[in-house]
Amino acid sequence: MDFLQNITNIMLPEMTIVAFILLQIILSMFLDMKFYKLAKWLTVLGIFLATSLCTKVQIEPIYYGFKNAIISDNYTIFFKGLILISSFLIVFLTKKTISSRRNSAFQFNALILTVILGALTLVSANDFLTMFISMETLGFAMFFLIAFDKGFKSKEATFKYLIISAVASSIFLFGVSYLYGITGHLNFSLIYEYFLEKNPTLLYSMAAIFITCGLTFKLGVIPFANWILDIYEDASTSVVTLLSIVPKVAMFGILARLLVFPLSYSFELTFVLVLIAVVTAIWANVLAIRQKNIKRLLACSSSANAAYVLFTVSLVSVFNLSTVLFYLVAYIFMNIGVFAAVIILESSEFSNKLYEFKNFAYTNPVFTLCFATCILGLAGFPITAGFISKIYLFSAIARSGLVFLPFLIVLMITIVVSVYYYLRVVKFMFEKSDTVESEVIAYKTSSAIVILYCCAAITVVLGIFPSKIIELCQLMAYNI
Amino acid sequence: MDYLSIIVLIFSPLIAAALLFSSFFKHNEVRIRRFSKGFASLHFLYTILFLVFFNPLKDGISYYKEITFFGSDWIQPLGLKMAFGLDGLSLLMVILTSFIFLLALIASKSNIKSKHKFYYSMIFLLQTAVLGVFCARDMFLFFMFWELELVPMYFLIGQWGDKKAKASAMKFVLYTFFGSLFMLLGILLLHFYNFATYGNLTGDFSQIAISTPEFPMFMQIVISILLLIGFAVKMPIVPLHTWLPDAHVDAPTPVSMILAAILLKMGAFGIIRFNMQLLPEAFKLIAPVLVIFAIVNIIYTALVAYSQTDLKKIVAYSSISNMGIVLLGLCSLNLIGFSGAVFQMIAHGVISAGLFMLVGIIYIRTKTREIIELGGLGAVMPRLMGFGLILSLAAVGLPLLVGFVGEFLVFLGAFNSDLDIKIYTGLAIFILVLSAAYMLRLLHKTFWANIFEKWQGIKDITNHEFVVLFALILVVGFFGVFPMAIIEIVQPVLTNILQFLQI
Repeated sequence: MDFLQNITNIMLPEMTIVAFILLQIILSMFLDMKFYKLAKWLTVLGIFLATSLCTKVQIEPIYYGFKNAIISDNYTIFFKGLILISSFLIVFLTKKTISSRRNSAFQFNALILTVILGALTLVSANDFLTMFISMETLGFAMFFLIAFDKGFKSKEATFKYLIISAVASSIFLFGVSYLYGITGHLNFSLIYEYFLEKNPTLLYSMAAIFITCGLTFKLGVIPFANWILDIYEDASTSVVTLLSIVPKVAMFGILARLLVFPLSYSFELTFVLVLIAVVTAIWANVLAIRQKNIKRLLACSSSANAAYVLFTVSLVSVFNLSTVLFYLVAYIFMNIGVFAAVIILESSEFSNKLYEFKNFAYTNPVFTLCFATCILGLAGFPITAGFISKIYLFSAIARSGLVFLPFLIVLMITIVVSVYYYLRVVKFMFEKSDTVESEVIAYKTSSAIVILYCCAAITVVLGIFPSKIIELCQLMAYNI
Repeated sequence: MDYLSIIVLIFSPLIAAALLFSSFFKHNEVRIRRFSKGFASLHFLYTILFLVFFNPLKDGISYYKEITFFGSDWIQPLGLKMAFGLDGLSLLMVILTSFIFLLALIASKSNIKSKHKFYYSMIFLLQTAVLGVFCARDMFLFFMFWELELVPMYFLIGQWGDKKAKASAMKFVLYTFFGSLFMLLGILLLHFYNFATYGNLTGDFSQIAISTPEFPMFMQIVISILLLIGFAVKMPIVPLHTWLPDAHVDAPTPVSMILAAILLKMGAFGIIRFNMQLLPEAFKLIAPVLVIFAIVNIIYTALVAYSQTDLKKIVAYSSISNMGIVLLGLCSLNLIGFSGAVFQMIAHGVISAGLFMLVGIIYIRTKTREIIELGGLGAVMPRLMGFGLILSLAAVGLPLLVGFVGEFLVFLGAFNSDLDIKIYTGLAIFILVLSAAYMLRLLHKTFWANIFEKWQGIKDITNHEFVVLFALILVVGFFGVFPMAIIEIVQPVLTNILQFLQI
């Protein structure tokens, strides 16, 4: 009965999601195509239930369930909330993707729920095996979601994703196998305790580097970053929104735990990660300059943002962790806002080329204002969450030691580059042109518009009044 | 005094901007313009009240106010407060800001022909940002407003400017962003070292100023240099100045006025606020090096100004040259030099606004700024010529006008400086000749000589333009005769800095 008790104590949100996945799959067999709208609302209900059940999860004192394979504390519940809230917003953006393939609406929603399930178990993993299984759950659902769109392009994208994912996973497993060879454990806490008595060897550092390199795939940073541009362009936009947020948030959650517990003894790892972050920031920001497609540009931007966070995560300290949490919160809302705007544009028959954005400021002022707020937030201009989160993040790096100052300066210069390409998007929207026909956006996607407005509003509110959220983040970071 | 709220002073333009941007105002040009001008006038009167009830002899900050959100500070976990306050220096800059914005709004009538709602709301947003920079009592708040100013500036230059305006606006934003990231790094280090020394997290200027002498000297110098890069871009100091001519040439006239009169002063203001008030010891060590930059600034850009053929570029380069004089005054490290620098900031603000207005008036009528194509305009525009004469003479430094007082005090301070910079100052004095050369060339080529046939039918200045120029001339004349009116307000701040420098 230990098993059931564990489930009722800490796994209720996950179990709700599992129940709704099964429900979706069963319904897809029986229900007619015309009920396709039901699928979305079921997903929404499932996520809502899971979110509310998060309050029932036992977190004080820290709960180790399933023979230490799953951990439940303040930190995991924060990430679970973050994942559920962001996916709650993203589900409302899937309308256009589903409308082209109504007969598969239930499968699509089941896959989305599977991604969420993978992410939820990933952040609460306390064991390399649980972690790997959750990662693959997340990844496999993602393959099908990327391929969901009609046409061969999405299939090509999913194939690229699949291949690189396989390579990254094998590298991760290679690292884990070495770590197992050294310590004889797969559990995070046990590995941590093992090295309290013994000195870590160079082999341990190598294993740590391999493990984190395997994880870089889902974060979209170098060395496994080259998939990101093509897949962002070819996959359906709502899937890309999911791809750019849920796996990343979950991965940063588990990466921080890895760096705090089992991999915390490797000094080499810190420098490798800092180097990876800086190189990725340079690569992504330079690559973004010439992009003419908004989705490709956002791919570079998400990669760059992941690099900033990775920089801070790698300099492990409680304060740094709290800045990372706040950065993720701010980034989620800005990013969803931008993608919602892209989805609105797509459903009013715009292509994703930047030059089609001309005249927007004069034909759709409110839409432009919200879109520009989110974009400027990503660029880090004041009175947006992006400004506060960047200051907060850099304050963490600045106090981590003078050794990292040169890296920080390089990072800051790449941010100047990023301002250029973000402003270019805004510039196009305010440009007047007679040749480009810019119709008033058809308000077909009312849910996406609501999401855009909400995200813009949250971005501004967090930019003016971040105090309470930062306090929450600090509380969570102290409780890892 | 309680009814004078600094919060209203700073954020009322923001509310005006929101009103103008909202659908409350229809696209009615006249109503929008009248509302803006009326609002700016009220704001100016309100700032004058702050001056009236200000006690310059009292040490410290008046009108101090903090904004709290639901009982907690702005970013409480980092100890940052949304605190505003006025000392003598910020009060002067606030009045200058309000004054110049009012004049720029009056001047906007003939320059801005499209997108009125957007333009006027952006101007007011810019005003809030600039006032916030001058009034902030917290480093991060200062930085926030410093960055906020970029957004309206980007649109103001890019949307209503000339052909290449978008590229220039982008250049302006990227340069400033580049500088301000170094500044952010400096601020973060200040914040962190204060925490490491005293154990309390704060961004408050007065508290940081107490703890900075305890920092390691090496760190003080590093922070000082990082901050200086940020301010040098804005000021601008020579190797980082190339954004300024482009931005000025492509911006519409009112924006040029604001840019030259106020935004450049933000750089000098930042140097006083951060480098001199917070890190006096490091500034003492850096000052001899900065003097060289100041001399290069003064002489080099004056020579460049002489070789320009575009009227606006001449005025733009002369602005850089004048900011070099301000920098020289700040580096002299004595009261006369400081007073001269602050006075020169105000003087140059007024004069450059007038000169840009002048160039703008000519450009509207002739559609050219090339000095070769102009000439003899004095015959058809006698009133403009009169104003132009006074303004250029003030820029050259004619006694009894503001330009003279500023330059004279700066050079006097530099000669008496303990730093032994007499040779450099001797070099810098050539600016008097050089500025006379480029200014009189400008005057001569535009207003005298033979008039071209095509300029015969040009009308003289309108009432709007007359009001703007006349107001500026009044200031130029009045403070040229009564310079102490400005210096007395700012003296407590400067003596305070000197006390720290003498440690």
